[in-house]
Amino acid sequence: METQFIQRFDRRRNFQYVNDEPSVMHCHHYATLFTRLALQMRSLGGPELLARAMEENFYLVLKKYYIRYVTGSVEEKIRVAEDYFALVGMGSLSITFAPSGGKAEMRHSHVDEGWIEKWGRTDYPVNFMGNGYLAAVFALAAGRLVGGYRVEETESIVTGAPLSRFVITEKGGPA
Amino acid sequence: MIDREKAIEQLSQIKVKGNSDGLIPSFNVLVNFLPSYFWNSFSEKLLKQAGEDDKLYADIEEGLELAAAECGYHTGYGIITSEEFKSIVGPMIENEPEDILHGAFAVFTAWGWADAEITSLSREKMVVHVKDYYESDIRDTFAVKRPFGYMIRGVSRAFMDLGYGKPYPDGLGAHVCRQTRAIELGDEYGEFVVTQRA
Repeated sequence: METQFIQRFDRRRNFQYVNDEPSVMHCHHYATLFTRLALQMRSLGGPELLARAMEENFYLVLKKYYIRYVTGSVEEKIRVAEDYFALVGMGSLSITFAPSGGKAEMRHSHVDEGWIEKWGRTDYPVNFMGNGYLAAVFALAAGRLVGGYRVEETESIVTGAPLSRFVITEKGGPA
Repeated sequence: MIDREKAIEQLSQIKVKGNSDGLIPSFNVLVNFLPSYFWNSFSEKLLKQAGEDDKLYADIEEGLELAAAECGYHTGYGIITSEEFKSIVGPMIENEPEDILHGAFAVFTAWGWADAEITSLSREKMVVHVKDYYESDIRDTFAVKRPFGYMIRGVSRAFMDLGYGKPYPDGLGAHVCRQTRAIELGDEYGEFVVTQRA
């Protein structure tokens, strides 16, 4: 089944919805300046908070989607998660999942390419939003709660790598 | 004179989704289409961490507004020079830049940013009333210290920069915006007042 992406506009609140989730179009300037703010607020845990916000939100978004549309396997959930990431404009994602952990590759990244467009390359990863998304995908696929996985970005488009790579590991505790 | 309802009706029907690279290149920027709660959630988490540190809280507020201002300035320019804008709003434009600004706020509404409408406009000052905006949903989860409409503040002043500042891309920062009413603090609507930077 093709991944659903039903966009509608609600004239009552004047909100856009994607698959019945209130959603909003923003640009790479907004996403990268949020990311830079997270880095500036490193003393408050800014990068982790940005990742956590993404993880919590997409945990719910994807969970609702799975309940509604996905009756099949973990493999189907992973494929939907890859599609969803692309459909909302965040990049092209390829995920290898196992309950104990896995890896992911990003051939294109909204955050990395937006950052390069705005400020040029960096020598450190900036895709905290991608980290959070992957943590949500792994937690859902494994039937765990938010916060069950650690995501490390090991190569980054923003540093000049041809693609971004992520390693995802289980934090431990009961599944 | 802009027919706001007609413009919103047509602009809101523009469909947006990622291409085969998972990107949305539109209006001279890369667009994303994320849940509105995500943006509120990060802001909330960060402001909560600032706690009673007023300097830190204000620094975060400034960062949130700046993100919106740059977004509004660059994306706003991309929008008002786009074929979509020219075809839908273009025929309604009689006075520039006033009608362009009214049209830009129709886009503001159609994109789901906020139900925002200019109520007063001159070269020196613009007042925007907002009946509903996703940032005001913060009241469901967080008792904010001050108005939370950072996105609307930033975008509103950026639109005035486009309308009355130096030609793009040299006009950003010529205006400031104050939020004088806030749904998230109990007001019936949000009010945003944009003036020239002193």
